[in-house]
Amino acid sequence: MFDTLIHQFWSLTFSGIALGFIYVLIAMGYTMVYGVLRMINFANSEIFMVGAFATVMVSKYVFELSNDAIPPSNVKLFLVILCCIVASMLASALLAFLVELVAYRHLRNRTTNRIAPLISAIGIGIVISEIVRIFTGARTQFAPNIVPKKTLATFQGAEIRLDSTLTIVAGLILFILLDRFIKYSRLGRGIRAVSMDEDSAKLMGVNLNRVISLTFTLGGLMTGAAGFFYVNVYENVKFNMGFSLGLAAFTAAVIGGIGNIRGAFFGGISLGLVEIYASAVIGTQWKPVTVFIILILILLFKPNGIFGEAIQRTRV
Amino acid sequence: MNKKIISGFAIAASAALTFGVVASTPASAKVKEITIAYQGPLTGDSAQTGIDEVNAAKYALKKYNDSNPAVKINLVTIDDQGAGSVALTVAPGAAANKKIIAIVGPAFSGATISSLPYYKAARLPMISPSATNVTLTDKKSVNYGYPVFHRVPSTDAFQGPSLAKWAVQNQKSPKVYIVDDKTPYATGLAAFTKKALAAGTWVGSDSTPDDTKDFAATISKVKSTGTNVVIYTGYYSQAAVLINQLRADGYKGDFASGDGTLGTGFLEGAGKNAEGVLLVAPTVPLSVGNPAMEADYVKVMGAASGEYTTETISIVNIYIAAVKSGVTTRSGMLNFINGFKGETVAGTKLSFDRNGDNNGAAAITGFVVKGGKIVPIEVVK
Repeated sequence: MFDTLIHQFWSLTFSGIALGFIYVLIAMGYTMVYGVLRMINFANSEIFMVGAFATVMVSKYVFELSNDAIPPSNVKLFLVILCCIVASMLASALLAFLVELVAYRHLRNRTTNRIAPLISAIGIGIVISEIVRIFTGARTQFAPNIVPKKTLATFQGAEIRLDSTLTIVAGLILFILLDRFIKYSRLGRGIRAVSMDEDSAKLMGVNLNRVISLTFTLGGLMTGAAGFFYVNVYENVKFNMGFSLGLAAFTAAVIGGIGNIRGAFFGGISLGLVEIYASAVIGTQWKPVTVFIILILILLFKPNGIFGEAIQRTRV
Repeated sequence: MNKKIISGFAIAASAALTFGVVASTPASAKVKEITIAYQGPLTGDSAQTGIDEVNAAKYALKKYNDSNPAVKINLVTIDDQGAGSVALTVAPGAAANKKIIAIVGPAFSGATISSLPYYKAARLPMISPSATNVTLTDKKSVNYGYPVFHRVPSTDAFQGPSLAKWAVQNQKSPKVYIVDDKTPYATGLAAFTKKALAAGTWVGSDSTPDDTKDFAATISKVKSTGTNVVIYTGYYSQAAVLINQLRADGYKGDFASGDGTLGTGFLEGAGKNAEGVLLVAPTVPLSVGNPAMEADYVKVMGAASGEYTTETISIVNIYIAAVKSGVTTRSGMLNFINGFKGETVAGTKLSFDRNGDNNGAAAITGFVVKGGKIVPIEVVK
């Protein structure tokens, strides 16, 4: 039962961390919005999906890459990565900005009912997903090979691949940048102020609408980057891809303590590892069962997640 | 326009719709048109299978309708995306549409299982060109399709052993790892394949849901067991995702699959990784079974035939023969199918036993992907 885990431990760990970083970036979209609005952005999974499609479109139609061709190298590879990640981040950020404008702001200003914006966000998510379904005929779209799947090094028998390494390193850099931005920039302080006490922040002259828009946009940027890394590693996209990944990322955010970006980081990496270890030990079909049993156990004993409100300074 | 007038129009329209169907086909009136339906995946990951089959049905009907028959046959399509969950939402409508007197399909076993309760209740006859799950014709199973279900291909009880044999042909000491996608078709085929493998060759199995995108854990098991043959019993979209990830992780062994992977969609998704993949399917390609008809198909349809064309045309030909003999109702069609004795367009015998299986079911063909094409090699005995 444990043979695969023992023999392939480092290989599994490396894959789990790469998957975990994708969860971390998507979880940022959930946790930042929750931190500021105390509401879940249920359209975040579709924001992720659109980001992933943006990478496929740019690599296929701008750089004319195909999965039969040799992946680009050197300067072209750098250019392709840069253009794809920027396209994904911008597409998702723009969509997140629009979601806030259409689904949240209007209702927030007109009603105190907290359910209405959630329902309208779910509605927008369904609209986006269905539009993509219609245009793609509900088929999986295979992405071209962008980053070569070559082995950089071997550690304890585990191959450390370029595409996974890029996900881990770039994911970590993006997380640190976001964390520093929230902590030290003027806009970041505004976000933290609204997150801690909305009324006091308003009295201190913080522009609430601007801060909320910025939060959605920042979350969209991170989620879009996750879309790029997902395509880079798994090379396929589909209209409903956001559902399972979004649910996993949301779970990661809840495990770490939703509203807490360092908690989301911990939750994302942990979830990636637990998923892959559980699949190896008891079978892939048991993966969702294991993940949600762990979630339920954590919520039973730590209802605010593992970090919860403990790290006030890092709370969004 | 005031509300009363609008209401009047609405009532009139409803009445026309309600009574129109009944009034349009009185027993004494001479029927000029008959409607049959095709059910299968026309959108979604497995759409290529459905598109190939529906084109085959259109070809057969075009040949018939162009000959100016006394009764023309219309074809309507029902898109179930190859999924049981979608079939549950479309089958009630097809069952309730009395104009449809027979179905070509459903294409997939899971969708067939979901549709059967509705079609059995409505006594709507169906002949599938590609649903191979054994339970559909097993009278001990809750999925038993009697009396409405029939099929042309042989079942997974035959495909499994052929897959087990075909998959290991390149290995002197095969170590086989089997992956299914948790669908009724894939789990059934995996079970028959595993059972047929020589002792000591099976090293492990995994069930990955049909929306799995990350096969890292499965690939780790493949590596840790020293596998040199991976058999995937699901459908081609996931097969492409799996083989791409296997090759990216350095797996050098063979990859084999059943008829769920027999499609150009697999080649598009897997690209160069598809090269050398071994496939089996209970179908005879039209180009092999009837080259003359294949040439005509290309002329009429403007492209080469696809998957299960031989079986689909043969099914439509049964319905055409029934209509020619005067059949206009579901019950008449059911009686005709049960009494039918003939041949497929590939020349093999075609008639159905009491459970709906084809008495002369075609042999299993082995294919290899060569030069970006799925090439039929030989019958796997």
